Amino acid sequence: MPPKIDREKCDSCKAEKESLCEQICPGDLMTLDEDKKAYCRMPRDCWDCMSCVKACPKGAIETRIPYQLGYHVAKLIPMMGTNTITWTCIDINGKVERFQYINRGMLE
Amino acid sequence: MQKTVPKTGIFIFDQGKRLARSIDLDAVIQRLARIKNVIRCEVLTDLAAPLPSIKEDFTSDKFNRIFWVGKFSDYQKKTIQSELSSAGLNPYMYEWCDLEEQGIGTKGVDSGIQTQKAIILIQMTLARTRLLEPLEPLELPAVDASLIIGAGVSGLHTATSLIGLCKKVYLVEKESGVGGKVASLHRLYPRICDPRCGLEFEIQKIRESDMIEVHTLSRVKSLFGSPGNFDVRIEKQSRYVSEEKCNACGECMKVCPAVIPEEQRSRESAFINETSQQVLNSLKSDKKAIHPAVPMTYPSTFVIERQYCPPDCRECVKACPALAVELEQTSSELAFKVGAVIITTGWDPYQLSKVDEYGYGIYPNVISNLEMERLLEDPPVLKEIGFIQCAGSRDERHLHYCSSVCCSVSLKQVLFLKEKLPDALCYIFYQDMRTPGFDEELYQKVKSLNNVIFIRGNPSTVKPGDNGKLRIHAEDTLSGKEIDLSLDLLVLAGGMMPSQGSFEIAQLLNLPQNNFGFFESHLQCHPEESQRTGILVGGACRGPMNISQSIESSHRAAMEVLPFLNRTILIEPKYPVLDLTKCDKCKRCMEECPFLSYVFDENGFPSLDLTKCRQCGNCMGICPLIAISLRNNTIKQIAAQVQAIKPSFISKEEPVILAFLCENDAYHAAQSAVEYGLPVPPNVFFIKVPCAGSVNNALVADALAFGIDGVLIAGCKDGQCHYVKGNQLVKTRSGDLSDKLQKMMIDPQRVRFESLEIRDSKKYVELVKSYIEELRAMGPNPFKS
Repeated sequence: MPPKIDREKCDSCKAEKESLCEQICPGDLMTLDEDKKAYCRMPRDCWDCMSCVKACPKGAIETRIPYQLGYHVAKLIPMMGTNTITWTCIDINGKVERFQYINRGMLE
Repeated sequence: MQKTVPKTGIFIFDQGKRLARSIDLDAVIQRLARIKNVIRCEVLTDLAAPLPSIKEDFTSDKFNRIFWVGKFSDYQKKTIQSELSSAGLNPYMYEWCDLEEQGIGTKGVDSGIQTQKAIILIQMTLARTRLLEPLEPLELPAVDASLIIGAGVSGLHTATSLIGLCKKVYLVEKESGVGGKVASLHRLYPRICDPRCGLEFEIQKIRESDMIEVHTLSRVKSLFGSPGNFDVRIEKQSRYVSEEKCNACGECMKVCPAVIPEEQRSRESAFINETSQQVLNSLKSDKKAIHPAVPMTYPSTFVIERQYCPPDCRECVKACPALAVELEQTSSELAFKVGAVIITTGWDPYQLSKVDEYGYGIYPNVISNLEMERLLEDPPVLKEIGFIQCAGSRDERHLHYCSSVCCSVSLKQVLFLKEKLPDALCYIFYQDMRTPGFDEELYQKVKSLNNVIFIRGNPSTVKPGDNGKLRIHAEDTLSGKEIDLSLDLLVLAGGMMPSQGSFEIAQLLNLPQNNFGFFESHLQCHPEESQRTGILVGGACRGPMNISQSIESSHRAAMEVLPFLNRTILIEPKYPVLDLTKCDKCKRCMEECPFLSYVFDENGFPSLDLTKCRQCGNCMGICPLIAISLRNNTIKQIAAQVQAIKPSFISKEEPVILAFLCENDAYHAAQSAVEYGLPVPPNVFFIKVPCAGSVNNALVADALAFGIDGVLIAGCKDGQCHYVKGNQLVKTRSGDLSDKLQKMMIDPQRVRFESLEIRDSKKYVELVKSYIEELRAMGPNPFKS
């Protein structure tokens, strides 16, 4: 399911050209609309890779989990540190699981 | 570059065995000695004896960085540094860790916990020590000249103090002569002396100096570059008289047929009578189109105001014995380089015609306080004179502020008027008499005069009366009585507003102005520093002030400009460095730098102007790609510090807080909390940062990911940040992170921003305690393993 953008939070990365989500999207799906807010222009092509969610410095992007894995309310949220990444996985019953990884080399 | 192995010497300095009383130092040493690349690790109780052996170990290359643990006096730190730098140790290869300020030694805390905390603290700083690199300050070339914009009283004083220090000065003035507003005043209080006397004194110094170039009839056209190396272009309007030839003999003025008409406010002739005619006559000037420089006759060259010349008139050309008149002169442009700019554009009087209830510009005998100065030179016989204070000041329809000098000015005018016309009856209408400091003396003096009446409350109407007099209706708010008066002359004390030149310069240099148009500066601490490095503001363009205050201000500005005029600008290696391989040109750093230090380079990447940067690290905090690091405080170092914290060192249930404290105030609050013996809980670790705004969200996310229960970011209160808005920036950012935590079903209060002032040590302790309670209630961080 495509990314959902919090239009109040999105500040279009203050960019004149490309916002961070636009740069990182492997399918080149994210872009800015006329109000300078990010949106996914071809929602059906989104692979749910969540690169944009990780890249967004304002925390304005959220993706829904594909319905084959979990219905609405289920969420997968990454939080990026300098060399850590945590995942919070909430299933449709509200059960929460969390994972934490250290990504060495991010600061090199 | 060859990577050097970080070999560290750790020395725990325990003067008076204070540490040994609260922690198990042997256990600490044993733990530390096992760490890789820690070459020497020992406890010292005295500095003098072991220092030579430390020096020797360093020179024989046993270790290449030193980590000092313990409380050192400033004197001891200096001794160590000077001893070791003589042995060749780079001053940036030290790290200091004061265990006591972090709360080790607080009474009533279990010694085991304290030892554990001490080990963690040492490991945190050790992690940072490993990443130290030898740094050298940068020396950038600079020009030792300065540009002063505006040659009023402030500009002249700034210029003379700089030429006194043998620094080259370019003084640019838009009028034909120097002196500014002050030169047009009649007398100055409190000494009731002629202002031209003081100005002439400064001009004499300028005349004698060859370090100064005065450019009159000139405007700054463009200014580019950075502090130390500004490129200035000025446009010089034509004077039509050659500065080299004119010797100010005045022959031309005798033959000039054109008299410059008075700047006419539409005085309606219906209201003119004998008295008002006299007033008008006194205000009239008979300036010819060719005349000496105004306001002061420096430079001594005459000037022609061509717009007033009759067509094809060449009388002055014929009359000039020195052949100095050049009617075909054209304006010219001039370019030069300066190291710094001082703006002294001064003030303009508020347009009193906007205060329509007093009829300024309609009735000939309603005049402004500046016109009164001219009238005082030779006052006509007047019987009843009214002064209205705060005409348009402290008024939400006009100027919102108090111009701080008008009350004293009016009192001075009354005093002087009474000297000339002892029988005149003066009415002073005021809202509040404001005579700060010693001006009170002036007030008392005027109060003791006969026939001076103070009426609290400004008149509601001014209407024409019989025989050209003015009919005034007012209410004395003290007695509650209504008053009707008939006056010969009404003087309006108009306020000060930023000059036209200030607005032009602000636009040209992109300088922030406050709500009223005066230049923004850090008022108490650095009043003359504008928000653009290398550009200073002095005198009344900063805010309403009297003459002595603007002179003080201009000398301060001259003082503060000196670091830019040294031929080299020294840059401490604490500046931010951008990793271009990571940067994706999002330009957030450019947007949020409070001092506009970033510019685009030729490839569209942000590039830092080192001379403008004030090293606050806000760009490091803002960068979403963690690509910016302060040179001596890299994000990698802070991340390593965060990672070294063991969040369950007390027990899994007991919360641990990581605090990022702004070194300008919150850090001192925490430090003095310990000094005052306040019970600081052992649960908190803090990291000192140059500004709260330099804390990157990724670091906070790291802390939470490693299981730290709460992250506290403490900085200045709103409007008090030394770097303009660092606290607001971090507040928004941590707010974004809190929102994310909420989505992750983690309590958003695990990240908190708080404002602390420098003496808020009690508040700090209370804050930490209540936060611990809150975190206990929330339960441990779900990422805690």
